Amino acid sequence: MDADPKKSYNLERINFLIVDDNKHMRALVKTILHALGSKSVHEAADGAEAFKELRHFPADIIICDWNMQPLDGLDFVKLVRTGSDSPNPYVPIIMLTGHTEMTKVMEARDSGVHEFLAKPISAKSLYSRIRSIIERPREFVRTKTYFGPDRRRQQIDYRGPERRKNAQKKVVDAAEAEPSEGGEGGELSQAEVEALMNG
Amino acid sequence: MSGDDGVFIRPPTDIRNKVSVGGPGSVDQAALARAEKVILDMAGSFVDMVHEDVANLHKELEALKSNGGDAATLDNIYRMTHDIKGQGGSFKYDLITTISRQLCNFIEELKGNVKPADIEVIALHVDALQVVIAQDLKGDGGDVGSNLLSGLEKVIAKRSSGQD
Repeated sequence: MDADPKKSYNLERINFLIVDDNKHMRALVKTILHALGSKSVHEAADGAEAFKELRHFPADIIICDWNMQPLDGLDFVKLVRTGSDSPNPYVPIIMLTGHTEMTKVMEARDSGVHEFLAKPISAKSLYSRIRSIIERPREFVRTKTYFGPDRRRQQIDYRGPERRKNAQKKVVDAAEAEPSEGGEGGELSQAEVEALMNG
Repeated sequence: MSGDDGVFIRPPTDIRNKVSVGGPGSVDQAALARAEKVILDMAGSFVDMVHEDVANLHKELEALKSNGGDAATLDNIYRMTHDIKGQGGSFKYDLITTISRQLCNFIEELKGNVKPADIEVIALHVDALQVVIAQDLKGDGGDVGSNLLSGLEKVIAKRSSGQD
């Protein structure tokens, strides 16, 4: 199902965080976002810096490159999703990458990204992913091995009345959800990030 | 299947509360066209930006020649080339992306087993990237671009057939 092409959204109040170790790509994404009307765009050069940025910047959408050093995009996503001290485990993440192999896409999906944006990028392709996030908000799922957006991409309506037909399905608000026990979900603490950074 | 045995959680915030639809400042077709124009304007300085990246790639190539195909050096070359590949097309220099993609594929096929003739193939691709930058070949590079690609493809075909 494609996003509704007729919807033109005002992105002025959306906080974006760009995470990319390539300054040219950061500049390009930032320029596109500004051209699309965004006022609040922060940048980080790697995953660890981005994680620190999230502590004081309430990002609504993160646009993250896959290939970064020393902490790559997937490690960063896992840290945001399951890190014990993550400031925002539910933030939508767009993974930006030159890898377009299915195995890579699946890998990104299984790490907890919302959208996958293949390079080369354009204003149209970037906006398309942003629009998908706006139009298809997703519940999160916590299982023994995964925490992230529902990979079935089912559309939900938070604002409407509860419309679940499946009585077996338990949906809770984020505040009621129990925190991850860690381990199997690839939980990383800040200390583990430092360990990764230092090889 | 995800979630069959798990707990479904409503995220604490709904991004739709922060966006409005239509009106001044919204992203319509005209706004998208303006944004694409901004990218084109930025592309004007792309050659200057990528020049340093390709120069660094050349340094790694020299290191690869010196160390005879060290795996870590080859990995650096792959990563740097992959990075350049993503930038090229984004800044409307498609030929840079095509050459870089071809080099990435070639390195992947080596599976870490690098012979002197392979280093020569890598060197020719790096040289080609430098030509694109020196001549500022935008898009597919026209006839010069076609000739460059054709030459590189022949070199790879020859190498793949086992001829040095």
